[in-house]
Amino acid sequence: MTGTDRLFLVLSWTIGLCCVVFLMLPIVITVAASFTSSSVYTLPPPEWSLRWYQSLERRSGLWEAVTLSLNLALVSTAISLVLGTLAAVAVTRGRFKGREAIATFTVSPLMMPGLVVGVALLQFFREIGLRDAYWSLLLGHIVITLPFVMRTLLASMSAFDFSLVDAARTLGLSYPKAILKVLVPNLAPAYLTGGLFAFLASMDNYPISIFLTDARNKTLPIKMLQYLEEQPDPSLAAMSSGLILMAVIALVVGARTVGLNRMIEG
Amino acid sequence: MRRLENIGLLALPGLTFLAVIFALPLLLLLLKSFQIDGQFSLEEYRLFFSDEYNMSVLWRTLRVAALTTLLALLIAYPTAIAMSRANGIWLSIFLVAMVLPMSVGVVVKAFAWSIIFRTRGVLNDTLMSLGLIDAPIRMLFTETALIIGAANVFLPFMVLPIYAVLRQMDNRLPEAAASLGATPVFRFFNVTLPLSLPGVVAGCAFVFSLAVSMYVIPSLIVGERQQTLSMLTARSFLFLRNEALGATISSILLIIAISVVLGSSWLANRLGARQ
Amino acid sequence: MQSSAGTEPDKRAYLDVVGVGKAFKGTTVMSDMDFRVARGELVSLLGPSGCGKTTLLRIIAGLTSADAGDILLDGRAITRVPAHRRNISVVFQSYALFPHLTVAENVAFGLRARSVPKSDIAPKVNEALQLVRMRDFADRPVSALSGGQQQRVAVARALVVDPVLLLLDEPFSALDRKLRETMQVELKSLLRDRGMTAIFVTHDQEEAMGVSDRIAVMNAGRIEQFATPSELYARPRSSFVMDFVGLSTRLRGRVQKTDGTTMQIETANGLVLANGALGVGSDVTVGVRPELISPCAGENTISVTLADAMVLGAKTQLHGVSHTDDRLLCEVPGIQTTLTRGQDVTFGWSIKDTLVYEAHR
Repeated sequence: MTGTDRLFLVLSWTIGLCCVVFLMLPIVITVAASFTSSSVYTLPPPEWSLRWYQSLERRSGLWEAVTLSLNLALVSTAISLVLGTLAAVAVTRGRFKGREAIATFTVSPLMMPGLVVGVALLQFFREIGLRDAYWSLLLGHIVITLPFVMRTLLASMSAFDFSLVDAARTLGLSYPKAILKVLVPNLAPAYLTGGLFAFLASMDNYPISIFLTDARNKTLPIKMLQYLEEQPDPSLAAMSSGLILMAVIALVVGARTVGLNRMIEG
Repeated sequence: MRRLENIGLLALPGLTFLAVIFALPLLLLLLKSFQIDGQFSLEEYRLFFSDEYNMSVLWRTLRVAALTTLLALLIAYPTAIAMSRANGIWLSIFLVAMVLPMSVGVVVKAFAWSIIFRTRGVLNDTLMSLGLIDAPIRMLFTETALIIGAANVFLPFMVLPIYAVLRQMDNRLPEAAASLGATPVFRFFNVTLPLSLPGVVAGCAFVFSLAVSMYVIPSLIVGERQQTLSMLTARSFLFLRNEALGATISSILLIIAISVVLGSSWLANRLGARQ
Repeated sequence: MQSSAGTEPDKRAYLDVVGVGKAFKGTTVMSDMDFRVARGELVSLLGPSGCGKTTLLRIIAGLTSADAGDILLDGRAITRVPAHRRNISVVFQSYALFPHLTVAENVAFGLRARSVPKSDIAPKVNEALQLVRMRDFADRPVSALSGGQQQRVAVARALVVDPVLLLLDEPFSALDRKLRETMQVELKSLLRDRGMTAIFVTHDQEEAMGVSDRIAVMNAGRIEQFATPSELYARPRSSFVMDFVGLSTRLRGRVQKTDGTTMQIETANGLVLANGALGVGSDVTVGVRPELISPCAGENTISVTLADAMVLGAKTQLHGVSHTDDRLLCEVPGIQTTLTRGQDVTFGWSIKDTLVYEAHR
């Protein structure tokens, strides 16, 4: 290894570690700020306290927003998993033209600006006379979650060697049993990661939801931005810390069951 | 799987859904922006582009997106290199640093950056206690703050594609280059860099399209004072009730997004054809 | 063929590996390795996977650093010289062709890295491609080439820079058998014509015997024997070399009596006579090459039942099983159809053809 090699290595590691710190910074700051006793954001806080967590109880409409967001995330992810499985099987196992195009199309909402999709849905739902906010939000959130599910399912299904199913059948398993014993365990990680990221994307979505809500149906991100305008005290940091905790749990579950490396694939 | 011809039908529910609830609305939006009272017309676009304020917003949006992409790339490339060589606990640290922020929502991160950049915020306090500055400097509501915040939020989407390409690269290639007499610098510019370009293209396309259409981050970091196309869209729909303008800007954003997708896949194909 | 006259005391050493040691994460893979190659010699490092042959190759190339010892090339220590200044070319197992470059650009890579003037590059590349008969493919992307063609490009790329030494890591392993044999002959004559000094790493003994002047048989980070192919086959220095190079029959036994030149060895199948002078009572492994066994008589004999008679074309293999279930292999030239499965035969061989090694443990 020459001096130049070493310089390259040191440089990339230095920047890499700075990058890690940079990425973690907002998360650490938020959590630290949530435990302050003061009503302004100063770090380190003058005294540690849980008062902003306690204050969450008094926030009007917070609980409704949380349940609505969880409801939307769970239902839209579940529907996406069903639609996604069918489409992914069709694309990877079917023998027809345009499979590539279908794969690209199903993943394409990821590349489209959320706000524009929101605007388009707003106008479209109005035109067809869909006025119910919950149903509008749910349909919008399936558009958000489906591409996440498709991306991981397509990647792992096309990597799956379907002759393993045949091999299991020659070894005496019936067709449904072969699917259950061979295909399902191999695809489980994809379902988990695809499902997790879809769920988190739905929980977090603002730009589509903002066009589809009404006064009674406000998702958590919308409610949080509203609080931020009305009363920007550290209780927002406490709410954020709650969401961070949820992300940490998702990450731990993902890392434990499928491994970090597989989570970023697809 | 016996009847492989019919298996394609399984895609129908998902496809129908996306066609009706995603593609059709976008298409209608696009079509409508070219119409006034049912007649084909470019009038809305002419109005938009002839307005100096609108043009400054368009220009700012593109500039912020480009600078965000550039900043993210400058941080991401060396990081991806370090990551591709990391193993064990270090690799886990890198992966957690990518996946955790991706799992935490944009709202949370944008809010955190607004705390950091406040005049009496974390960054100013730190700089003052280190004696680097005497009085707090205004950071929130500046374009620099926006670019830093946005780069932070989108960074994983730049690092991961580059990392994936570098990780897949055959380690023998730089070694072969070395045995042929190539210095480390020559190796980097003639082997590693060209081979990682597909990842760079993918990352840049992703970050640029996210940055062009970001809404939450600029609303929290720069506020209403410096509008971007997304904020203008939202405002025209939610507050101004000027839906024609909103639809036009949305279509412009859509056209930018589609061009980025098409452009990057064309580039990726060109790069891929050589490999 | 041997090196030109020199003034140094040891004129044969062109590449001189002295006392090289290497450990990976605390596991020693090689210690105190000595290895010498003469100018213009084609040498193979032969051994099973994990024996350290690729590590040695990488240390010589400068791609892996040695923990101890020195590498001398033409009398000059290159141990601390980085790979890109050694002028040692490597042909990798996977060929490591640059996927983003065409055939010609791949070959030109080393010349560009050496800042050869542009006007000189094209003719040199042309000549190198001509040499491996790939000139018609100059502008193709490397992904469009077959395995054999990729190998030729890799060889051209390695040779065009006029290396002082060529290292080849399992260069034929990705090719099918027929092509492999053609490429071996082709490459060998190409290297000979240029007087190139080259080291092949391989786990395939036939390949090693085909391409090299001398073979170093490696096992567990040591060189067991470094000799010409014929010497290696006829007089393997250890039972490992005997097993690894060519086929053989092995029997276990114990020395019962010795008169200084001939030993009487007790085996489960009776007494076997052999040349040598191991101590009485030592446990030994007895080996015989299959073509030295005759299916009728000899100075040593063992009765077997034929388990199989395999006609392989140029020769016929007779697989015998003794009453103790030991397997004996005999090869006779040509097609042999008189002996068939199930027949009882006597396998015999002469005393001088009996190989004896002290058994391990």
